[in-house]
Amino acid sequence: MSIDLKLDKAGDTVTLEVTGNIDMSSSTKVRDALAPLFQNNNKVIVVDLSGVSYIDSSGIATLVEGLQWSHNSKNKFRLAALTPGVKDVFEIARLLSVFEVFDTKEQALAE
Amino acid sequence: MSQPIKLSIPSDPKYLGLIRKVLQELLDSHDVPEDTARRLILCVDEACANVIKHSYEGSCDEPIEATFTIEGDDFKVQIRDYGKQCDIGQIKPRSLGDVKPGGLGTHFMNEIMDEVSYCTNRAKGTLLTMIKKLRTGLTSTQDKR
Repeated sequence: MSIDLKLDKAGDTVTLEVTGNIDMSSSTKVRDALAPLFQNNNKVIVVDLSGVSYIDSSGIATLVEGLQWSHNSKNKFRLAALTPGVKDVFEIARLLSVFEVFDTKEQALAE
Repeated sequence: MSQPIKLSIPSDPKYLGLIRKVLQELLDSHDVPEDTARRLILCVDEACANVIKHSYEGSCDEPIEATFTIEGDDFKVQIRDYGKQCDIGQIKPRSLGDVKPGGLGTHFMNEIMDEVSYCTNRAKGTLLTMIKKLRTGLTSTQDKR
């Protein structure tokens, strides 16, 4: 399953909507899409994971990198709409509390 | 299931999806619960990714052989590669308190599986064996803590 990435910018917020599986073959594409967002004037960066049913350690690593970039750039970095499979992987990695996680994209953008 | 299911893929990340699909079908056919299957698939995917990264150092046309066996309550998977042998003593998960990219794959395997062992007692490569009891402590990592 190939991965589909869609950017949606509204004012100083931007949403990266990911559809597909994030694994070793696709996590680089997510990273390449994510990295430039921290160099622009985006106050809030949301990754919408509602279309992702599978994520592996390389995908988690990419999102951890995003978190580190947000700390350096002072952007807010948020994850939204984790599917049960993705949430489970975050829980096994004990990283769920490290991120700002929202049930929906709308909630992530509204806060 | 008396006969194991064997699958060989090239060491190209694009084939990891194939091995996940085959394993999903196999676990479905044995009525393994969805959340358990998801975790077993994660372990196999991570093991193969480690082979590509570490044993074959990114080379995409080397063999990765996976053998799946379900016997009684035991799910067993063996991953065989013919690449660089790692120092088994050096294979350990990173500290989870240290939030940084990378190093999680080994943690997933150790956390989810009941047994994880590496054998390098061969001319080339490594044989990784992972075993999981299918009827106990499958869905909660709490059970293993």
